[in-house]
Amino acid sequence: MAIHEKSLIEPERLLQYDDLVVDGVDVSGHWNTMITPRTLRDYDEDFEKTIQSYGGGEYVHRCWQCGSCTNSCTMYAQNTQFNPRYWIYLTRLGLKEELIKDKDIIWQCVSCNKCTNICPKDVRPEGVMKALAHWMEDEGITEKSPSTHFDEEFADQIFKTGRIEDSHVLMHFFKKTGQPLMQGWLVEFGKRMTKGLPIAQMLRMGLNMLFPPKTKSWGRTGEVLQQYVREQKEAAHG
Amino acid sequence: MQNTVLVVGGGPAGLSAAATVSASGFDAVVVEKEEVLGGAPILSGYAKLVPSGEWAKDAIGRMVTRVVDDANVTIHTAAKVTRLEGEPGNFTATLSNGETVSAGAIVLGTGFTHFDPINKPEWGFGTFEDVLTTTQMEQMVGAGEIRCPSDGRVPQRVAILLCVGSRDRQIGREWCSKICCTVSSNLAMEIKELSPETDVFIYYMDIRTFGLYEDKFYWKSQEEFKTKYVKARIAEVTASGDGRLLVKGEDTLVKRPIVIPFDLVVHAIGMDPNEDNPDISRVFGVGLERHGFIARAEHYTNSCGTTRQGIYSAGAAYGPETIDDSISQGHTAGARAVADLYALVRKAG
Repeated sequence: MAIHEKSLIEPERLLQYDDLVVDGVDVSGHWNTMITPRTLRDYDEDFEKTIQSYGGGEYVHRCWQCGSCTNSCTMYAQNTQFNPRYWIYLTRLGLKEELIKDKDIIWQCVSCNKCTNICPKDVRPEGVMKALAHWMEDEGITEKSPSTHFDEEFADQIFKTGRIEDSHVLMHFFKKTGQPLMQGWLVEFGKRMTKGLPIAQMLRMGLNMLFPPKTKSWGRTGEVLQQYVREQKEAAHG
Repeated sequence: MQNTVLVVGGGPAGLSAAATVSASGFDAVVVEKEEVLGGAPILSGYAKLVPSGEWAKDAIGRMVTRVVDDANVTIHTAAKVTRLEGEPGNFTATLSNGETVSAGAIVLGTGFTHFDPINKPEWGFGTFEDVLTTTQMEQMVGAGEIRCPSDGRVPQRVAILLCVGSRDRQIGREWCSKICCTVSSNLAMEIKELSPETDVFIYYMDIRTFGLYEDKFYWKSQEEFKTKYVKARIAEVTASGDGRLLVKGEDTLVKRPIVIPFDLVVHAIGMDPNEDNPDISRVFGVGLERHGFIARAEHYTNSCGTTRQGIYSAGAAYGPETIDDSISQGHTAGARAVADLYALVRKAG
């Protein structure tokens, strides 16, 4: 029987020959579609240790697969392919290839930490998601996110000099993320800086420290956000 | 009225029953079918016991010594009760060694029989040298070295298969053997301790490390000893070309078939009714429950009772039981026997 639901099968597992004759019968094209088995043939015991070496992944070995993390997950509610429970299992058994198949969604964790709050074994799944995303960046499986570039630049400067220099962070960040150095807003920022004396600037910064400024034109934004959250909850739980 | 209690079986339950009878000022006669006292923990060479962590030969050995050194306890080893006559307060038992014992009450501490995994041939026991039972693995731990029986190599990977001979309607075992999960997690820790380079995987349907065994054994083995728990019921164990074993099944959680190489496969064998239970039932006139264990009387006011008055039971004779609880029940059964004999004396005035 011809297979109609090919979309359910990973493309690399579908075998089809344009020209194939079996026992004198022409089974070319559509008629010889076969699926390679999905059998798992080995574990990689060291992979769990690798993930544990990343910040946040330390407690992945505690997991007993109850699924509380996936149940509580904000992203799972949006996309049932986003399954922390499953990825933790793959991590524990070292099924890397399976993990890599989900490389385009693992990083989508929004760090709401509901999983970490609910986990009965204190696995801290949110940290595991971070660890997995970082491992994938390090291995070149996924590109580094801009925030990772920023974090690295930020940390590098601290490591080197014990402090950070804003302009250096920005320059290197732009360079690593392929952005032009002369950006419109930055040029404008510089121009305006020169308009006032440094003393006035320092005074403003000092005042801002004592009296945190409120975002301009915040207006009804807070109310709107609250309403959105309420609607989402009602949609999810009825 | 007899002031003697006949205790059948010299395992944890029987030994504690005999000790209680003696401590209450009565005489106990222990009849054990094997050559030595101690029951399954001694006969099968268990290593460290759950939950004390004490070696079986030390812990159970103390129980044996206590009874052997007791002048009020008479012991018959390599003997069975072949005939029983009489009534509560006045039983007469004939033993296979020709002796007779007069007793007012009887405690059956007749225990269980380990499931023989030859009855699950698809899991390779009896076919491959490197497929063992938990009791054989306990003996290996006792000997202090973890090696593959086939060629003596140190195993890289050990798989423990749970529920071998338990929870399986196909082979008429519709019970949970209760302690194998805990024993297996304990065994996984012992293997890791003796052979740190060995990774232990436990294939489970559920993990039933009840009560305080949860963190002391299950969590500890997972968190401190890095035991991997894999949710899969194994379909078969076969040989791979390179001298290792292949464990085949379906990983329930990834919904995928698995074929994983292992060096050692251990069957966590369950507890069957004592294979002698049909005889025991006939000789003592006690009923068996539907699985073949000794039928328990109404428990609330007739603790440790059987279907026959004056005959009591304790421990794994009633169904899968832990060593600790078998010991406690043995004490209870001994106390019940003595208490009911006192009642008969009072009634007789």
